[in-house]
Amino acid sequence: MAAPLVPLHIIVFLPVIVGAVTYFLPQRIYQAAMLLGTVTVTFFSVQLFTAVRWGSDVVQFVAGWPEVVAIKLVADGFSAPMVMLTALFFTSAYIFSTRAGYLDKTFIFIFLMLEGALFGVFLSGDLFNIYVIMELAMLTVAILIMYKKEQQAVYDAMLYIMMNFIAMAFMMLGIAYIYRITGVLDLAVMQVRLAELSDPRTVIVPYAMIMTAVALKSAMFPLFGWLPRAHGAPSAPAIVSAVLSGIQVKVGVYLLVRLSIVFSPAIDAGMFFLMLGFLTSIVGFLLAIVQKDIKLILAYHTVSQVGLIVAGLHLGTDVAFWGGMYHIINHALFKGLLFLSAGIIIDAYGTRSVNEIRGVLRHMPIIGIATLAGVLGITGAPFFNGSISKYFISRGVQGNLAEIGLYLINFGTILSFIKYSTILFGKPSGKTPKPLMDPFVAGISLLFGFAILAGGVFGSQAVSLIYGPQYAAHGALSMQKILTFLLTFAVGLVVYRTLILRIGDYLAGIRTFKFSFNQVTVFISLFFVLLLGYTYLSVQ
Amino acid sequence: MAFVMEFLSQLTMSDLAVALFFIGLYGAMTQRSIIKTIMSIGIMDVAAITFFMMSNFEAGARSPISGTDPQHMADPVPQALMITAIVIGVSVVAMCLAMYMRVVYRYGTADWNILIRRLED
Repeated sequence: MAAPLVPLHIIVFLPVIVGAVTYFLPQRIYQAAMLLGTVTVTFFSVQLFTAVRWGSDVVQFVAGWPEVVAIKLVADGFSAPMVMLTALFFTSAYIFSTRAGYLDKTFIFIFLMLEGALFGVFLSGDLFNIYVIMELAMLTVAILIMYKKEQQAVYDAMLYIMMNFIAMAFMMLGIAYIYRITGVLDLAVMQVRLAELSDPRTVIVPYAMIMTAVALKSAMFPLFGWLPRAHGAPSAPAIVSAVLSGIQVKVGVYLLVRLSIVFSPAIDAGMFFLMLGFLTSIVGFLLAIVQKDIKLILAYHTVSQVGLIVAGLHLGTDVAFWGGMYHIINHALFKGLLFLSAGIIIDAYGTRSVNEIRGVLRHMPIIGIATLAGVLGITGAPFFNGSISKYFISRGVQGNLAEIGLYLINFGTILSFIKYSTILFGKPSGKTPKPLMDPFVAGISLLFGFAILAGGVFGSQAVSLIYGPQYAAHGALSMQKILTFLLTFAVGLVVYRTLILRIGDYLAGIRTFKFSFNQVTVFISLFFVLLLGYTYLSVQ
Repeated sequence: MAFVMEFLSQLTMSDLAVALFFIGLYGAMTQRSIIKTIMSIGIMDVAAITFFMMSNFEAGARSPISGTDPQHMADPVPQALMITAIVIGVSVVAMCLAMYMRVVYRYGTADWNILIRRLED
């Protein structure tokens, strides 16, 4: 297979450069120019993916400096699919919002700057470069959250930026430590030098510092406080929420995988992250069930799904690992779709309360069908993509505690989405919504819905196409699996009717409970100490 | 007393930087005033930068610019990187301060706990 058409840094810089050069153009032409730019980047990223997938890894040293000295960009089996996913997702989201009212030049520019930053994180093979680009992504995300300057958006963004900045300070101190010990910032060389260490205990402090930052970025328990504020921010436009939940939170998961591999010669904290993944997932869906705001239901549910992904990645079997990797893509598809359609629903009904929105399926059929596809995907219904990745994750854990944990998580997912799907049926209590007339919204929603279905029907092929390993997925469609799903669904329905609806009023305390900035900082410190203690005890 | 003096004389710049980092963290954990927490995270950032600067430190090393004998040159990597980190730190703190001003004008308080209560109303 051919080499990539363009050097890797072009892919990172192209959205930013196009945005900056054409900034003087009037709004409509600018929008078209940026569409052209992001489509071009998508083309390059798909071509890069094919070159990596059926060729070899692409390694590039920026400015021609020798290895170790240069900033390295790497496209390999992990990063190339993520880059492709990011490009496709951003382009779809951009087309989706073609006619949206909030779109102006500055917004478009910052939005696509975030795209470039995410490419940078995925392609970077240098620890300090990752730090710099993550700071850039953090600033752009903060601006996007408070772009409409409504209500408490500025407060949400301030909290987001300060929490993340503390985590990034931890990360920089960790990078400084690791630079002292190994003398390099290049991840591949660092891995080699870590293997040569006489005493692995010397790197537990930098490991704990860097991983604390990564855990906050991937919203692990108890550091997920920023995520619902950022992703479910009432004033954030639909595409911002979709991009944050679909792609940006996966940066943390991606770095968790990447850096775990780098540190693997010295430290293995897989068990810690496995437990943490389950814990995050369970806490996430519990908090999702008690929410009333549909965006907050989705945002807390992102926490739960990220926990599931992290648990899958650390279960220890290959099939569960690739199941987790596939779930990253699946989650981007269905959560992206759900957030995009939720934005349209909120605009049409003028409310965010799950109790007031009714009859979406009748009044907005296309959005309703898209939402239904997203819900079926996320609950792991047979023939939809969630079932495949969840099946892969659950394979190889038969008959132990982890299996019960996975059942519990899926049950919680179904329960919270039974609550969410009540918006689809019934009669609207207030005004009837205005009908949907936007072909871009409809087209992209159906495209996402179709991708969710295709990812389920051709699940096994999709995994081997994107990542390489071959696993049979017909077990996900066995009679037993379908029966289990239907039974779980029925139990969920009964539990929702009998329990959740009745105790709803008592849950208000949990719903409005929020941590202050000081408490969050205490959690970050506690997490650091806990991880430090765990690695100290586990490393001999 | 002699023990304390000896301990103090053995402290390096890096140790002080780590101490400063955790002092900043303590401030972020305990201060209820928003402006003081912004100061605290600024201190954490500066401490991390100082710590990075002191890596591979050698007494008597010369600045890594052209013309210096490579044998006596200080490690150029931390210096090059920390320029970037300082700029990032300044811009993030500046952004925090800008948001702080908006929040203060809007809600009329500079205290995290009072702010949360006002947001719920």
